[in-house]
Amino acid sequence: MSYFIVQILPYIALTIFGLGLLFRLGRWAAARLLGTSHEITLAPFPQTPWQAGWIFVREIALFRNIFFFEPTLWVGAWPMHIALFMVLGGHAVGFYFLGEQFVYIGMSPELSKFMSNLLGSVFGMVLLLGLIYLLVRRVSLGRVRQISNPSDYLHLVLLIAIVAVGDIMRYFPQYGMHYEEVYEYFKALILLQPVPEFVFHNVFFITHMLLVQILMIVFPFSKLVHLFGMFAMRWIENRVHTDPAPGLPNVDVAAARAKGTGLPSAGGAA
Amino acid sequence: MASINVNGVEIEVDEDGFIQDPDKWNEEVAKYLAKTEGVEEMGEDHWKVVNYLRDYYLKFQIAPMIRKLCKETGFSLKYIYELFPSGPAKGACKIAGLPKPTGCV
Amino acid sequence: MPEYKGMAQPAKASAEDLKKLRLVPVPDEKKVEEAIRLLDEMRKKFRSFVLAMESCVKCGLCAENCHAYLGTRDPNNIPTNRAELIRKIYRRYFTLEGRWFGKLVGAEDLTLDTLEQWYSYFYQCTECRRCGSVCPFGIDTCEVTMIARQILYWLGMVPKLHVGGGFGIERVGNQSNIPKPGMVDTLEFLSEEIKEEFGVDVRFPVDEEADILYVPSSADYLLNPYTLMGAAMFFTYIGARWTIPSVMSEAGNFGLLFDQRHLMRHLFMRLHDAAANLGVKKIVWGECGHGWRAWKMYLPYFVDRPLRWEITHLHDEVAYYIRTNQLKLDPTKNAQPVTLHDPCNYVRACSPAGPYGHTENMRTIIRAVTVDFREMTPNREKNFCCGGGSAVLFDDPEMYQKRIQFSKTKADQIRATGVGKDGNGILCAPCSICKAQFYPMVEEHELGVEVKGLIDLVGKALVWK
Repeated sequence: MSYFIVQILPYIALTIFGLGLLFRLGRWAAARLLGTSHEITLAPFPQTPWQAGWIFVREIALFRNIFFFEPTLWVGAWPMHIALFMVLGGHAVGFYFLGEQFVYIGMSPELSKFMSNLLGSVFGMVLLLGLIYLLVRRVSLGRVRQISNPSDYLHLVLLIAIVAVGDIMRYFPQYGMHYEEVYEYFKALILLQPVPEFVFHNVFFITHMLLVQILMIVFPFSKLVHLFGMFAMRWIENRVHTDPAPGLPNVDVAAARAKGTGLPSAGGAA
Repeated sequence: MASINVNGVEIEVDEDGFIQDPDKWNEEVAKYLAKTEGVEEMGEDHWKVVNYLRDYYLKFQIAPMIRKLCKETGFSLKYIYELFPSGPAKGACKIAGLPKPTGCV
Repeated sequence: MPEYKGMAQPAKASAEDLKKLRLVPVPDEKKVEEAIRLLDEMRKKFRSFVLAMESCVKCGLCAENCHAYLGTRDPNNIPTNRAELIRKIYRRYFTLEGRWFGKLVGAEDLTLDTLEQWYSYFYQCTECRRCGSVCPFGIDTCEVTMIARQILYWLGMVPKLHVGGGFGIERVGNQSNIPKPGMVDTLEFLSEEIKEEFGVDVRFPVDEEADILYVPSSADYLLNPYTLMGAAMFFTYIGARWTIPSVMSEAGNFGLLFDQRHLMRHLFMRLHDAAANLGVKKIVWGECGHGWRAWKMYLPYFVDRPLRWEITHLHDEVAYYIRTNQLKLDPTKNAQPVTLHDPCNYVRACSPAGPYGHTENMRTIIRAVTVDFREMTPNREKNFCCGGGSAVLFDDPEMYQKRIQFSKTKADQIRATGVGKDGNGILCAPCSICKAQFYPMVEEHELGVEVKGLIDLVGKALVWK
């Protein structure tokens, strides 16, 4: 079983993830954009591409609508998402550079490793707390419960499980894995070689891997694709659209007033 | 299609009780429809409004602007609402045998 | 009919009615199958619809931002839940997860009951786009409503009120069913009224060769005299050569509200031909929210040929002449306290950002023609709907009760401005549907305000000498 999870499933999961995403995004792309594509642009319309870009930044990076209309949701959602991307990025660079990524911005290798650990611990915890907050909100707010399907809870539970296991490995080094070990594991996977023996002894790692791969398989077929959906949607909704210039043809107000159009003495309407 | 029976004559009405064929209208029909709109007794002022609406409709195939109705009958909008509790557009027009107003009204 | 298994519904148009629009209702036993086929067609047609179906995360932000939910507290009026009425069907038939995991992901077979549910709830949505505007992703639930209504129409499930507008459009070119003689008679009457009240000679040219084609809302002929008067006075004041077309006498376009392709295009073509025949140089639009959206945002695509005329809104033009100091206005003519209701379609579907966009232009005008202007909170693109949007103006008792509930949030907003405290306030609602909704609703909620258009106030404030 462990062998399947760490040696075989990764290829299956990655394939399903990749093809699934292509399938899903392909479906979106295949659906047409009708008309001038401005029919459902949201007002106020941006007047320059820069203004349109700012709406993207404001909404996608800062969650401004959530901040404005439901700050109590923003408190959980925004830090959670930021932490999520930090953690994902941390996994990539941390394992690739073995924690010495910050050497490139002038730190010593020791300090870099310390920073890498510190950031991982902090964001790992923020992510976990954020997810729990969102789950509690979903369960406790009547109106949110009313719009939730079972899968909405399950996505959160799955994410919480992944992060919780990850955090255990991070906070309790005896259950963790060294950067070097993970590096070796992934190197073997990528080179299609047998994975090193030691991964089989770490039950937390195997659990973490299993859950992440379930997520990868589920991802293309779930609402989690909002990661891409929001760009696609905003691209339709937030477009530059300008008005024709005001001013009416053959109208000279001063002349009309001098002539007194409309006044009975002027002998009737214009 | 529903219908009403006024003195033995079957008259088709739509779901809201507006008569379908304006030619079938007569004073008896008006009195019958008035009851459905909360007007128990058609007084002189009721008839004034109803007749004006009807004449206008026969001429122009549309109800007059409410402001014009008030002006021509000499009644205030408030008084017209007193006469016809369901309002000039839906109450009075229905009694006068006009079709139900459509659009943003 | 106004109720189906406990759900309020507007009265449906009969098969005979639909026949007049050359539509044959789908028989009940074929409805489900046909609905699935049409939904499939729609999802291939509209990418934005697919995104609305597939990327909502159910955060619930839209709930407290929808006047329909705030007024009724009906869970199906939460925008995402309303969309879910379609989404669960969409999942069941068009996604792998829905086909394989049904209940788990909230997928459901389509039944006749579900279609009746669509009919009930998609005619409780007023297409105000506030949910789309607050959605973190910009998911346009309004478009979901539009697509649902389109499918329902094709199946033969459509309110009598809307279809009635459809007849008028095809018969005489306006939703109110006003033929040209009735129109001319009303305009002549208003000419006299202007003379009497303001002492000026203002004519309403109909179907004359002119520079400017002005298209008023047809409801103005029945309910909003001052809106027509104000526009005519403005055009006369600036010495414009203008005319009103009788073949296309409608600023609105009910097509947008239930038959987005066929019927909407019919009016578009009428406008195109009227403008060409009368040799106008510019088209100016009257006070109508959904209509302005239809003409401004949809027309260029539907006409499908390069348009020779620019189309602007009367508010934008008036604001321009005010900004350039060409109008002499006396704001004391409108001395009562006044508040402005931003029609949803102007501020969330049509207005450019910036000081010269429609949203700000309305303020430029109202500040110039009134003394005591008070903003509502929230306002501009964050404004709440009047509760009658997209012609949810049904008078069936059940639906009328809903309308009162839908306008509750708005009523609270108006009360908070204090304009109606002394019973002499003005509620400026420059859109025919808003006006039609507010006339009874200000009474139901006892707001102490009189409903007016924005051009109404301009007409009153013009100084002629």
